[in-house]
Amino acid sequence: MSKDEIQRQVDSVRARRSELENHIIDEYRAGYIGRREFIRRGTVVGMSLPLVGFLASACGSGDKEPSGGGAPVSTEDIQKGGTLRTGLQTPGSDLNPVVVNNQGALAILGQSGEYLIFSDRELKAVPRLAESWKPNADASKWTFKIRQGVKYQDGKPMTAEDVAATFNFQADPDTGGNALSAFTGVLSKGGAQATDESTVVFELEAPNGNFPFNTSSDNYNLIILPKGFDNKSWPKNFQGTGPWKLDKYTPDVGVNYTRNPDYWDKTRQPLPDRNEIKFYEKEEAAILGVQGDEVDVLAQFSPVNGKPLLTDPNVTVIELRASQHRQLHMRTDKEPFTDKRVRQAVALLINRDNIVKGLLEEKSDYGNDSPFAPVYPSTDKSVAQRKQDVEKAKALLSEAGQSNLDLELRTWQVFEVPQYAQLVQNDLKAAGINVKLNITDAASYYGDAVFGQSPWLDSTFGITEYGHRGVPNVFLGAPLKSDGTWNSAHFKNKDYDKLVTEYVSAIDLQSQRTAAKKIQEMLLDEVPIIFAYFYFYLTATKPTVAGVDVSAMGHVDVSQAGQKA
Amino acid sequence: MLSIVIFLAAQVLPGDVGRRVLGPFADQASVDAMNEQLGTDRSLVVQYWDWISGVFTGDLGESIRNREVSDVLIDPLVASGKLALLAFIIVVPLAIAGGVYAAMHEGSARDRIISVGGLSATAIPEFVWAVIFILIFALGLGIFPTTAQFPAGASVFTQLEYLLLPSLCLVCVLFGYIARMARAGTIEALGADYTRTAVLKGLPQRTVIMRHVLRNSLLPTIAVVATQAGYLLGGLVIIEVIFNYNGIGLTLARAATAKDIPVLQSGVLIIGIVYLVATLIADILYSILNPRVRLGAAE
Repeated sequence: MSKDEIQRQVDSVRARRSELENHIIDEYRAGYIGRREFIRRGTVVGMSLPLVGFLASACGSGDKEPSGGGAPVSTEDIQKGGTLRTGLQTPGSDLNPVVVNNQGALAILGQSGEYLIFSDRELKAVPRLAESWKPNADASKWTFKIRQGVKYQDGKPMTAEDVAATFNFQADPDTGGNALSAFTGVLSKGGAQATDESTVVFELEAPNGNFPFNTSSDNYNLIILPKGFDNKSWPKNFQGTGPWKLDKYTPDVGVNYTRNPDYWDKTRQPLPDRNEIKFYEKEEAAILGVQGDEVDVLAQFSPVNGKPLLTDPNVTVIELRASQHRQLHMRTDKEPFTDKRVRQAVALLINRDNIVKGLLEEKSDYGNDSPFAPVYPSTDKSVAQRKQDVEKAKALLSEAGQSNLDLELRTWQVFEVPQYAQLVQNDLKAAGINVKLNITDAASYYGDAVFGQSPWLDSTFGITEYGHRGVPNVFLGAPLKSDGTWNSAHFKNKDYDKLVTEYVSAIDLQSQRTAAKKIQEMLLDEVPIIFAYFYFYLTATKPTVAGVDVSAMGHVDVSQAGQKA
Repeated sequence: MLSIVIFLAAQVLPGDVGRRVLGPFADQASVDAMNEQLGTDRSLVVQYWDWISGVFTGDLGESIRNREVSDVLIDPLVASGKLALLAFIIVVPLAIAGGVYAAMHEGSARDRIISVGGLSATAIPEFVWAVIFILIFALGLGIFPTTAQFPAGASVFTQLEYLLLPSLCLVCVLFGYIARMARAGTIEALGADYTRTAVLKGLPQRTVIMRHVLRNSLLPTIAVVATQAGYLLGGLVIIEVIFNYNGIGLTLARAATAKDIPVLQSGVLIIGIVYLVATLIADILYSILNPRVRLGAAE
């Protein structure tokens, strides 16, 4: 096709697209955003993947950026049939879609259930039960076109009414659902309306440029279920529209699935005949499971416990850059952290190289003391990276009139957190800060998780673990806003709150980046929380297996996987 | 009394039940709603009465994970029972035979190997044995699975294949203890007047050992074995965790972490009852095998 013809097609496409979509295309053409970011932003505002792919080729330089890891394999290279065995963390909660809150359980929801959108490994919004979506001018109202001809596993059709009912149910405070934390200030009960058989309109509480991610697999409780469905009965039938159908569920042991013969997506019919999931209570046992050939796939492992897998020639590791991280909070309303120079000094004392290269085997990005992980397209990478500077830290402490400080660092036994706490303890010695570690179990650390009854929220100095999110909105809000329910640093700054509102309501990437830069610079200066690293999401597979798809949120899709042909 | 102690001990666990179900990042309104649904916002007296009155009618209540407590506990109890039984079948005859053999060769190199080797094996914790066996037999030689959780519907032989390594860990830990008791009892019985009389009567050695020595020497061993039954059923947390085996120990550890009090208190109560029953059986066996106990009671 000639250049003129391509340009005519591009013009024709652009004439039918909204102002917002054209704005993103312009950003891409002008080089403000790369190909991957263009595809991601394009899908977020509702452009289809084929369209955004065409525009990426037609309007861009053709440069290909590296993917997030684990190169896709053609399904022709994969043997069909057989059984694929996956190891998952034992679900820590009842398999009720309303209360699910850990990786093992959410990965189970995603086998037989489906979301409107799948937030994939590159943080693209891939249409699933939603065919397309569009915002109004200020992104306070989003219109979703719901896929037709989709059936639940019991044969009943999935409707727009079901979609609206699912969202209104999960957004209802009386339901007591886990998704409420993502919907607070975004969507309230009744905010989702089915306006016809194939359309659902979401009226938001405030403009939100990233709202599609609230409807996606990132908001993992939100599998679409029939209107009036009793969520408590879900573990009996694993109802959903997904590619896998329940065969046998043994609580705390595992789940066996067979292919769903009525699965709607003809291009993604499951390749294996059976999908067997085995639960592991401890990560160590799961690692032995994949090394001992008990499972073909281990959905997630940590760089600290999983070091044997990183060097095992009989294991292939898929690594995804992610936003999962640890927050080292310093209470801004309690001595000695009321003076920001002390907080800055602590941040300057931490040797991030030791953490990233030593503790995490380089399976991590560096953090720069804000929730803007390098993986986010909206992160402004021009903000200078904070590095260890002991002399500057000592000078700041001296200016603040602080010396020979004694601190207690509270946290709990999870993944690499105790080792991280030890590194912090060691680094702070360089400036004469004596840190006493208080490492407990989860229940003791989180307590009742409300102010006044929780070491997490009440301690002066503490470390808390946060999982991946496709967009930073949650990290920017609850742990840092003045009224944030997870604000363990007790950081109260009206200017910051305004910047977050500005960021959340921004639709185009340039506006988001502009707001992000201001937030990054403010948090780098104020340092209520140290974000030292954002570690990768790691998955292990046997080298003979291909086609496994994972997301950093914890979803694992083996429908297009199998033994290599 | 046991039920009250168990109930109160379960309440000491830190954290809010609704919070444990929904996770630390859940909205407080959701947590309150969950506590109301679960009934954990009621007074302790009401909760205890609800539970204990249910226990007497066979209703153990509902887990915070939306399942009947009896359903949660039954499979793990059967699973732990299988593991304990296999370990028992291996260790009891092996340790008794080892102890008797050592006693019959008292002071010899064979005696020292069995005694010192057995005690050394007992001194090593079961999780160390687990790591050693997994490294050698599962990862190194590849002849056993790395975990014990056999697939659903597995045949008896497949189940044995999965359960053998964890059982061997328990065998290592229990062998020295039981063998030592058997050895001590046998040495005492071998030096007893009735044994000397039996030998002087010209009875064959086999008859002397089986009829006169073993019957007397194994009395303390039986008491030891019986007390280990309770441990084997309820105390295998570490082995079950390492081998990823969904037994009662792992289930109770999980319940304690999740603050699933209905499961925890009922499970501990059941294990307490198992201990009591095992001790009772040991006493009955003791009295059957030892006429002096029966006669003493009759007097």
